[in-house]
Amino acid sequence: MEHILLTILIWFGLYMIVCLSLNIEYGYAGIPNFGRAFAVLVGAFAVGGVANRVLMFIFGISNGIIEGSASVKSAMNEIMARDPAVAILFLLGTLCIAAILGAVLGAIFILPSARLSEHYLAIALLAISEVSYMVCYYNPDIMGGYYGVSTPDPLLFFQGEQRLLAFSVLTISIAMLLYGIVSKMLNSPFGRLLKAMRENDAVVEACGKDVMLLRVKACAVGSSIAAISGALYVFYTTNVIASSFNRAEWTFYPFLIIILGGLGSTNGVIAASLLFVVARVLLSTYKWELKSALHLPFEAVWLEYIIFGVLMLLVLLFKPEGLLKEKPTMTKPIREMVKRTGKGARKQA
Amino acid sequence: MLVTENLTKLFDGFKALDGVSMKVDANSLTLIAGPNGSGKTTLINTICGFYKADGGHVFLNGEEITNMKPHEIRKRGIARTFQIPHPLKKLTVLENLLVAVAEHPGEKLLRCMRCSSWERAEADAVEKAFELLEFLELDALWDTEAYKLSGGQLKLLEVGRALMSDAKLIIMDEPLTGVNPKLAHCILEKLVELKKRTTFLIVEHRFEIVAAYVDRVFVMVNGRLADEKSEAFREVIRLLCFK
Repeated sequence: MEHILLTILIWFGLYMIVCLSLNIEYGYAGIPNFGRAFAVLVGAFAVGGVANRVLMFIFGISNGIIEGSASVKSAMNEIMARDPAVAILFLLGTLCIAAILGAVLGAIFILPSARLSEHYLAIALLAISEVSYMVCYYNPDIMGGYYGVSTPDPLLFFQGEQRLLAFSVLTISIAMLLYGIVSKMLNSPFGRLLKAMRENDAVVEACGKDVMLLRVKACAVGSSIAAISGALYVFYTTNVIASSFNRAEWTFYPFLIIILGGLGSTNGVIAASLLFVVARVLLSTYKWELKSALHLPFEAVWLEYIIFGVLMLLVLLFKPEGLLKEKPTMTKPIREMVKRTGKGARKQA
Repeated sequence: MLVTENLTKLFDGFKALDGVSMKVDANSLTLIAGPNGSGKTTLINTICGFYKADGGHVFLNGEEITNMKPHEIRKRGIARTFQIPHPLKKLTVLENLLVAVAEHPGEKLLRCMRCSSWERAEADAVEKAFELLEFLELDALWDTEAYKLSGGQLKLLEVGRALMSDAKLIIMDEPLTGVNPKLAHCILEKLVELKKRTTFLIVEHRFEIVAAYVDRVFVMVNGRLADEKSEAFREVIRLLCFK
């Protein structure tokens, strides 16, 4: 039971981060980023591809990335076991690399397609993500391809359930920190401008704002945050294989969560992330029991996909606004003005 | 203030603008009149960068702005309203106005995290927005989402957004459609008052209302500016009851 609870906490943290990022891009800025998995993959690449190579260079390991990563892992784990400061530095350093790489690649990949209208943009981003996924999966030189690579474990001080506990605390702490930053950013004139762009980019352009630049900024911030989640996931599993970053888990599910929570509603996204993760972990744990109890005519592994697919359709049909409705951007000066002038009660047109 | 020289716009070979040359004086309220389909809105869209001109030039205070991007033109001082209201539907009435604030420091990605760097500008903008909403009789609806407004109220919102900007030139495309005559006169009086620091170029069909306020009239027919001696021009002048 404790294991399930900790697994829920870890996945809640990971999905909360990814969904916060997607909420900035799709919920606020109206950019249908069907390539969310790409940014998460970039985070994984930051650890498995970039950090591993840097450490191989430092340790003078000249093998290929697959063999080299194993040597790096044992060398780094030995050092980190002696000196916790190195472990913390390694953890924070790789998270920073992931965030920077995510921002840069997110901005670069939106650039050629940022002028496209919504549907074409969605398809272009999906295509970019899928191509990147396949290149990473079939080319072992990037980050091990279908063999994958090992990564050092900065939480190796903790064993068994303790490691899970430590990792869940770490993930939730980072998720909460990002929640605070994202909330502050979105509850500002910048957040209001992103929402305006989502509603009508011609108006925003007519108001003197560069819509192209805004889209690039939104994607850079979103991808940067999503990449942190990818890097954390790698630390959770201590290895990287591209197939772990498929579109169902890292694009479809985040879309389901933000639609369920309510587009543009940061608190809704958190509530939906928790609901989704609880349901998913329980489904994944008890799928065989469910199959035999319900006499399902298909393999239990498909149950999760079917249930979440149907859930997405039901939400879109019957509650498209999601669990929590988006709230207006109430900056401090607006709240003060409302208080001063007594314009409190919401009136209908 | 605003000068166009032989401005031309083609749509699949059809000349929607056919060599339009006009001059709008600073601190004036200029009217563009003409029948439907005569090219008035195309002229606005081409001046504001929403359409690429196929020929000719546009100058603002001597600087060429032809075919610049809309946001670049806005930054140089031309604000506009749309003929068909373009509300930011899920944003509140107040938010719709605040988006129009030029160069808001809080809209910068890095500065938005430091509240102290933009709260003063935001407070000024909020104050101005509430004043405008009161003037446009929309203050009771400040926190209502724009999609809930009526057609006339949406027009007023368009006007409010234009007035929120500190533009040198405000171009309004049929701003009075659906607005009650009393409020329409109030808006025009406000424009006359603002003429001291802003220039207005408006397209409007409600001649009986605008007649008393405009300084100059251009008449468009078939993508061209009508000659002052032409029948079309005289007809508009007659309708405006000009002496």
